[in-house]
Amino acid sequence: MGKSFDLSLIVDFVPTLIHYLGVTLQILAASVSLGMILGIAAAILRVFRIPILNQFVILYISFIRGTPILIQLFLVFYGLPAILLFINIDISRMEALYFVIITYALSSGAHFAEIFRGAIKAVDHGQTEAAYSVGMNNSQSFFRIVLPQAIRIAFPNIANAIIGSLKDTSLAFTIGVMDMMGRGETLIAATAHGLEVYLSLSIIYYAVVLLFEKIFRLYENRINRHQAINVSATG
Amino acid sequence: MTIDILFIWTAFKEILKALPTTLFLTIIPLFAGFLIGLAVALIRIYKVKYLAGVANGYVSFFRGTPIIMHIMLIYFGFPLLIDLISAKFDWGIQSNSIPISLFVLTALSLSAGAYLSEIFRSGIISVSTGQMEAAYSVGMNTFQAMTRIVLPQAMAQSIPNFTNIFIGFLHTSSIAFIVSQKEMTGAANIVASTNLKFLESFIAAGFIYWGLTIIAEGLSFLIEKKATAYNRGGVQ
Repeated sequence: MGKSFDLSLIVDFVPTLIHYLGVTLQILAASVSLGMILGIAAAILRVFRIPILNQFVILYISFIRGTPILIQLFLVFYGLPAILLFINIDISRMEALYFVIITYALSSGAHFAEIFRGAIKAVDHGQTEAAYSVGMNNSQSFFRIVLPQAIRIAFPNIANAIIGSLKDTSLAFTIGVMDMMGRGETLIAATAHGLEVYLSLSIIYYAVVLLFEKIFRLYENRINRHQAINVSATG
Repeated sequence: MTIDILFIWTAFKEILKALPTTLFLTIIPLFAGFLIGLAVALIRIYKVKYLAGVANGYVSFFRGTPIIMHIMLIYFGFPLLIDLISAKFDWGIQSNSIPISLFVLTALSLSAGAYLSEIFRSGIISVSTGQMEAAYSVGMNTFQAMTRIVLPQAMAQSIPNFTNIFIGFLHTSSIAFIVSQKEMTGAANIVASTNLKFLESFIAAGFIYWGLTIIAEGLSFLIEKKATAYNRGGVQ
């Protein structure tokens, strides 16, 4: 702070910061894909009420939904090395980026689990019966018939969760990751123009969120393209 | 690095002292956001000239950027703005005499307003227009129908969303520690660095947040049951 506001600095800052958008997107892509796998697995354990594991998943989801992402980030950053040291694995020198990816994967996994569970339950039971009637077994009917339909139902919520994750990545700098925010911090240290840096960052985040929303809307229309026809065919 | 289980309890007690600040940073923005959100929702539903455009831009921007940006933009931007206006009109107000928590509260209120307006909008739209017509048919005007019939139902329907927003902002208040607010995460950070017991401190903070979340969910369930009592259908 201290210096007067200079709008022209934003023209300099945006290109500098956008270089680091890649790191943000890398965190997002890695954590969302891992979170998706984790979420589907957790949802299956919940839906089929697998004993013990079901209770464990309930606890996991409750904890993630009950604590701020910042606390989760610190717990993984300080806790994971401590846990792994018990089995003689030393990861204290691992890059901060990986701690961030692990945290966001665990966090989005819990949110995806709830989204998928709701969506799986929303698929009509008749679909499973129809799958049995043509001779499919349990896992065939689940993975070929129910899950694809559940993913379509879950899509708007998945899109929201991904955009939420994208915005959450703005906290990764607190454990020293050099993403857009991290680079912004160094820019502020060098130029003392905090407001201009955060305006530039806001412009970039806003543009990326709008772009994601647009892409998700197009994709949603695409995966729903058979829906209207189905309704008219049955009606 | 070994885990000092006993220290978790010490940290727990220390962090709990910052609970009032956390609740303050959660509840005040939600109250302010409630008023902003209701106004913005009504402006957007009734498509008020000029204002509707501003309202759309506001909601879109605040939902499209991370909340830390709102805090930082106001934390860095407002002092400049206040000093500028103050110098121009000779008010003699110094921006550095304004407590930081006021900037944080403003930022969080504006975020809460944007998120709450979407909840109100869907809540109001979900109350069928038939309710509005029924109110007209007994001679109410639009204002009466809105405040006596539609809004109470919209509020009742929005309770699960309100709970999510409350929990969301309870968690969001943790970001305030980045601008040196001594709320629970800030307190945890201080306890952690003065004792060099980071993991234990954040475990304690995690438990407090988790407990608060579970209490909030339980309360919301009870309130929802009471508020939607009119909607139990034919069979009690």
